[in-house]
Amino acid sequence: MSSTIHDTSRAARSARAARPSSTRRGAGPHERQQRRMFWPFTAPALIVYAVLFLAPVGYALWTSFYKWDGMGAMQWRGLRNYQVLFQDPAFRTSLVNTLEMMFVGGAVTFAISFALTLVLREMRGRLFARSVLFFPCLVNGMVFGIAAGFLFSPSGPVNEALHFFGVTTPPKWLSTDNLLPMVMGTLIWTATGYYTSIIMAAVDQIPEYLYEAAELDGANAWQRFRHVTLPCAWDVISVCAVLWTVSSVKIFELILLFGGSSSAYPPVSSWNTALYVYTEAFPQATVPRMGMATAAAITSLLLVTVVTLVLRRLMRRDPIEY
Amino acid sequence: MRSKRGSAGPARLIGTALVWGAVAADLLLILWILLTSLRGSGDILKHAFGLPTTPKFGNYATAWSDGGFGPAAVNSVVVAVASSALAVALAAPCAYALARRRSRTSSALTMTFAMGLGVPGQVLVVPLFVGLAKANLTDSQLGLTLVYVGLAMPFTVFLLTGFFAGIPAALEEAAVLDGAGALRTFTQVVLPVARGGLITAFLLQFISSWNETLFALVLTHSQDQITLPVALAEFVASAQLNGMDYGTMFAGVCLILAPMIALFSWMGTRIIQGMTVGIGK
Repeated sequence: MSSTIHDTSRAARSARAARPSSTRRGAGPHERQQRRMFWPFTAPALIVYAVLFLAPVGYALWTSFYKWDGMGAMQWRGLRNYQVLFQDPAFRTSLVNTLEMMFVGGAVTFAISFALTLVLREMRGRLFARSVLFFPCLVNGMVFGIAAGFLFSPSGPVNEALHFFGVTTPPKWLSTDNLLPMVMGTLIWTATGYYTSIIMAAVDQIPEYLYEAAELDGANAWQRFRHVTLPCAWDVISVCAVLWTVSSVKIFELILLFGGSSSAYPPVSSWNTALYVYTEAFPQATVPRMGMATAAAITSLLLVTVVTLVLRRLMRRDPIEY
Repeated sequence: MRSKRGSAGPARLIGTALVWGAVAADLLLILWILLTSLRGSGDILKHAFGLPTTPKFGNYATAWSDGGFGPAAVNSVVVAVASSALAVALAAPCAYALARRRSRTSSALTMTFAMGLGVPGQVLVVPLFVGLAKANLTDSQLGLTLVYVGLAMPFTVFLLTGFFAGIPAALEEAAVLDGAGALRTFTQVVLPVARGGLITAFLLQFISSWNETLFALVLTHSQDQITLPVALAEFVASAQLNGMDYGTMFAGVCLILAPMIALFSWMGTRIIQGMTVGIGK
């Protein structure tokens, strides 16, 4: 409410301020109008964004310094929440898993995406192939979690097929130890199509003559990729890297329901920080620990911020004109 | 030249085969889910890859009524449509003003919105839960819709700013010279031209609200307020105790899946463009 009042007064002020300056500069009616419409047009979205997005981020940071069960009084703890957090083996596992998904998962996803671009660029029926590969990113991760749980169950179809080929002791796919690699595999499977599509959209913009010239110079497919595709699509690839960083930290429903497991939460060995936040803030039997949950959430936000900044710095290149 | 191409042949052939293999696997997985939703539970357990001998549309009836997927599907539609429409309605004028006005304030605001793209959802989940509980908006479709609108702001503003920046300003200048005010210029000249971008923004927001699970799980719990992902999670959880009814579960999975398949086969290129060009630029 207070922000509404604040904003309208600001809008009024800017409208008042706009008049003398525009007559002074003698700007056209169009520009004057654009100046006047600025705050009325941006204010509604800005207010919603401030109330439902920015304020919660601030509140999360604030809560992360308190011990709080979500109902009673908040108890100041300062940075000790973060200290406790890093001593909690469950959080350490979650953080390591998150990092593993981010870096290992990212490396594999992008390697496959590049391989796909290499093939897809010169393939017949590529538009159809591209759209089919893109589709999984529109499906709720739970669907893949459930499907994998059925397909890889001990007497499930995958093991039956392996049995047919003479494998008598197939790996215990969904055992606690194997859960994380399975989640990663599914994640990579569903994410590759999406990143391939983004990279391909950039590759489509690269003029054909560059490839023809490279081919005349005797460059093979790999060299064409290395010296034409990669530098020309570099901007988009660096955006993709940032995008992956953000989205890999958000993964939640895939892990929650992977293997269609049970009514209890999945085993800690497969958690990431998102799941840790969820289980701390909304536990099934114990008292909620809101401070710890928000501290874990803020840690993942910091992680994203740091990795993003480092990536942007590392991947910065002079723009290529073509 | 020819010989060079010939030597690159096998590698390319293998690559192409692998791509088609992946495409086939994706298609078969979806087909398998659709077919399995029409089979009986015992049948599925015996032969995982069979065809439905007698299609059991009863699975859908059970899922719709007993599984709780029916009301959840209705809620999902209501929340996803309302939040997407509201998000686009709020973001469009803002994005337009940001795209057109080049000043320090506008670039600072654009940055502020863009920064939101880097905030993972779990940061907001506790504060929004506490806030909505205080406002008595937990376990309500209104609350969930508002949360989705807030979550949508960074991306929708970002996408539409790029889109409006691509529309030539000459159009509006002409309208202004004809005496149209800012609001009139926007609603009658700019919006019709920008229809494609607005539809794309709506679609993408619809898709992400439809699939959103974390906030739906946290913010809703009673049977008449939950959305499809929550219903599915609850069904899996309860089936764990009562024995898995695979047919019904896959019918529920199909209810989540079907609108996405339908949307994608109808507006696939538009969805891909929105999700790729908007980000690639």
